[in-house]
Amino acid sequence: MKTVKILCVCGSGTVSSSMVAQKIKDALAQYGYDVHCVECSPNSAETALAAGGFSLMACVSPVYQDFDVPKVNAVGMLTGLAEQQVVDDCLAILNAE
Amino acid sequence: MKAVHRELILFDVDAENAEDAIRQIGAPLLEHGYVRDTFIDAVIQREKEYPTGLQLRTMGVAMPHTFGVHVIAPAVCVAKLAHPVEFRHMGEGDVRVSAEILFMMAISDPKKQLETLSNMMGVFVNDEAMIEFANARGTQELFEAARRYIG
Repeated sequence: MKTVKILCVCGSGTVSSSMVAQKIKDALAQYGYDVHCVECSPNSAETALAAGGFSLMACVSPVYQDFDVPKVNAVGMLTGLAEQQVVDDCLAILNAE
Repeated sequence: MKAVHRELILFDVDAENAEDAIRQIGAPLLEHGYVRDTFIDAVIQREKEYPTGLQLRTMGVAMPHTFGVHVIAPAVCVAKLAHPVEFRHMGEGDVRVSAEILFMMAISDPKKQLETLSNMMGVFVNDEAMIEFANARGTQELFEAARRYIG
């Protein structure tokens, strides 16, 4: 298992990001990734990223600012319409590391 | 820990718009002591900044919520609307969702209520469960579906 850090971003930094974090953890574990998720709100993304070591940001709220860390739109995890797409987007970033 | 309570199941809610729906659905949460009196306004404000509409495979829903500081006891309020109300889509504010069922989440600490959140997410992607919610003919059937799927 390769350990990776993902920042999960939602409006209040709690409810929907926790939902997405859990699902991303479970999904990526099947691909050999031990995911450590940190949750935050869009306003605190910069502060959270300052801790360093994040492979990507999984967002359920739009994050307009660009950081060095790539973003994945993770709303599809909640609707079930694009779960695999979200997983594939994450994998594309993680596998390229 | 049970998140679904009979007094928080609402059927045939006649709402003019998203804000009106949130006010009507938040009322029993407040009345029965699940949330503080700041909760409803906080949810409305948050919905404007970070919308919670979700277009599922089966139908449009919304899961209005806010920070745990406004919550006294965790609960999920399930409301079937008399007619759909327009919400903006989560993560994509310019996309509109015609929400038929609202799941208002009063979550005080997501880490402790992970089971409820996880069940909730399971419902959204479970077409059979969503159709059961949609087909509920009254408060009792809606309550039974909510208890079974959300807990």
